[in-house]
Amino acid sequence: MTKYTADPLLWVLFLVLAAAVLVVVRQRKASAALRQEISGLREHYTDLEHHYTQSVASAQEQADEATKTVLKSAMRTLQGLAAEQQLILSRLQVKYGESAILQDLLEVDHTNSQFGRRAQSIAVLCGGWLGRHRDIASVYDVVRSAQGRIRHYRRVEILSQVDFGVSSRAVEPVALALAELLDNATSYSSPDTVVEINIRTVPKGVVIVVDDAGVGMNDEERARAERLLSTDRVTGVGGLGNPPQFGHAVIGVLAERFGFEVSVDSSSPYGGVRSVLLLPHELLTAVPERRVPVPAAAAPRPGAQPAVQAPAPAPVSRPAAQPAALPAAVPPPAPESYGSTEDGLPIRRRKRPMAIVPTTETAPHGAPASRSGEQTAAILGAFQRGTRSGRATQRDDEDQTTSTRGASSEGHEFS
Amino acid sequence: MRAGGEDFEFEPADLVRAYIITKGRELPDEQQLSLITLVTATPEEGRRLNRLTPEEQRLLDICSAGYLSVAEVAGHTRLPLGVVRIVLASLTESGHLMTRPPVPRARNADKELLEEVLNGLHRKFG
Repeated sequence: MTKYTADPLLWVLFLVLAAAVLVVVRQRKASAALRQEISGLREHYTDLEHHYTQSVASAQEQADEATKTVLKSAMRTLQGLAAEQQLILSRLQVKYGESAILQDLLEVDHTNSQFGRRAQSIAVLCGGWLGRHRDIASVYDVVRSAQGRIRHYRRVEILSQVDFGVSSRAVEPVALALAELLDNATSYSSPDTVVEINIRTVPKGVVIVVDDAGVGMNDEERARAERLLSTDRVTGVGGLGNPPQFGHAVIGVLAERFGFEVSVDSSSPYGGVRSVLLLPHELLTAVPERRVPVPAAAAPRPGAQPAVQAPAPAPVSRPAAQPAALPAAVPPPAPESYGSTEDGLPIRRRKRPMAIVPTTETAPHGAPASRSGEQTAAILGAFQRGTRSGRATQRDDEDQTTSTRGASSEGHEFS
Repeated sequence: MRAGGEDFEFEPADLVRAYIITKGRELPDEQQLSLITLVTATPEEGRRLNRLTPEEQRLLDICSAGYLSVAEVAGHTRLPLGVVRIVLASLTESGHLMTRPPVPRARNADKELLEEVLNGLHRKFG
C-alpha cells in the first residue's frame, strides 16, 4: 500500500484530477453566468425591439394623424368651394336657361360635381366633413344624385324604382357610397356597355343592385375589396396604393359610420361585378313630398335652415283647397298631392304607383248603398260648404287676375 | 368626429342636378321646339308611365289639360327653361307629348266691315 502512496506518479495524477475537477466546475460556473447574461441580453433586446416597434408605430400614427388633419381641413375648403360653385351654377343655369350657353353650363356642373365628390371621398377617409345637410329624398333621387357624380353617367341606367325615401342623415353618405360603386363599375367596364341599377324592396329594407359588364375582379382584388369593406381596413390615406384606390375604402368607412351594408362578392350576370347596397329600415322613410319650389333667384340665402321648408309662396291659394287653414310652413299631408307649381298650386298625379301601405280604409264600390240618411246629409252638407267656400275664394282670385300669379296654372283651361 | 352643427354651412344645392334630369341630351332645335310651340299630352293608351322620371311625369301632368306653350310649361316648374325644352323634346320623341306650331297672330279685322255689320244689326233689331 505504502508503495502506492509513495508513488509520486499517483500524487501527480491526483493533483491533475483535482485540477481538472476544479477547472470543470469553474467552467460550468462561467458558462452558467454567460448563459444568464445572454438571456438577460436577449430579454433586453426583445424589450428594445418592442419599444422600437411601438415608437415607430406611434410615430407613424402621429404622422398619419397629422396628414389626416391637414387633408381634412384642405378638403373642407375644397368641398366648400365646390358647393359654392354648384350654387352659382344653379343660378346661372336659370339665368341663361334660354340660351345655348346652358349646354356648356350643364357640362361645367357635371365636372364640378365630380370634383366635389373626390374631395368628399378624401375627407371621409380622414374622418372629416361629409358635406351639406340634405332633406329627405326618395331612393330614386339619391341614386340619380350618385349617378350625377361620376364621369360616365350617361352609361348608367336605372331600371326600377321603389316608393321609399332615405332619411336625411343618410342621403349624402348613401349617394357618395353609391357614386363610388358606380365609378368602379363604369371605370372597369368597356365604354360601350351599360351599367344597370335595380332598386328593390327586400324584407331587410331596400337594395340597390349595380351590375356592370366589365371583366370582374380576380381573387386578389376581391379579397382586397372585401377587406376594405370590412371593419379591419386600413385607416387614413396610407395603404391605398399608388395610384390610390379610394372607392372601397370610402364605402367601407361610410357603411360602418351610417349603418348600411355593401357587398361586392357576387358576379353580375353580364360577367362583371355585382355590387349590392342594402339600406336597412332605420335609414328609410316614406317618399318625401316634393319640396315647395323656391324661386331660383332667392336660392342663396345664407344661414337659412335647410330643415325648415320654404314658406309656401302663395298662402292665399292654399286655404282655397284646404279651408282648415294650415300653417303655411307645413305642407298639407294630402296623399294625392304631387307637389305644387311655382304658384303654390298643387299638382295632382293621376295615378299613384303602388303605395307602400295599401289603403284599407277605402270602401268597395258597392258602399254607397249602405249609407244612412244622416251620412248622406252630412256628405251633401260638406259638398255645399265646399262649393260655397270655393266660390268665395274664386272671387278672391279674380281680384288678383291682374298679377301674374293670378294667371295660374289653371288658366289654360279657361282660354 | 363631426359636430352636429358643422353640416349646416351651406345652403344645399339641388340633389339631382339638371344634367341628370336632361340625361345629358342636347338642346332641341329652335324650329322643333321653340318657346311658343304648343305642347299637350297624347292620349294615355300605349304609354308606359312607370318608366318616366319624376320630372317627366310632372311636365306631363302640367301638359295633360290642354295645349300649353313651352314657355308657360317652364313657368310652372323651377327648372331652367332649356332643361324643360330638352325634357319636353324627349317626351315628344317617346310619344308622350304632341307638339303644334304656334298659333299665328290674329290679324286686325276690317273695321269698316265690322261697322257695317253693327249698323245692319242695329237696323234689324234696334
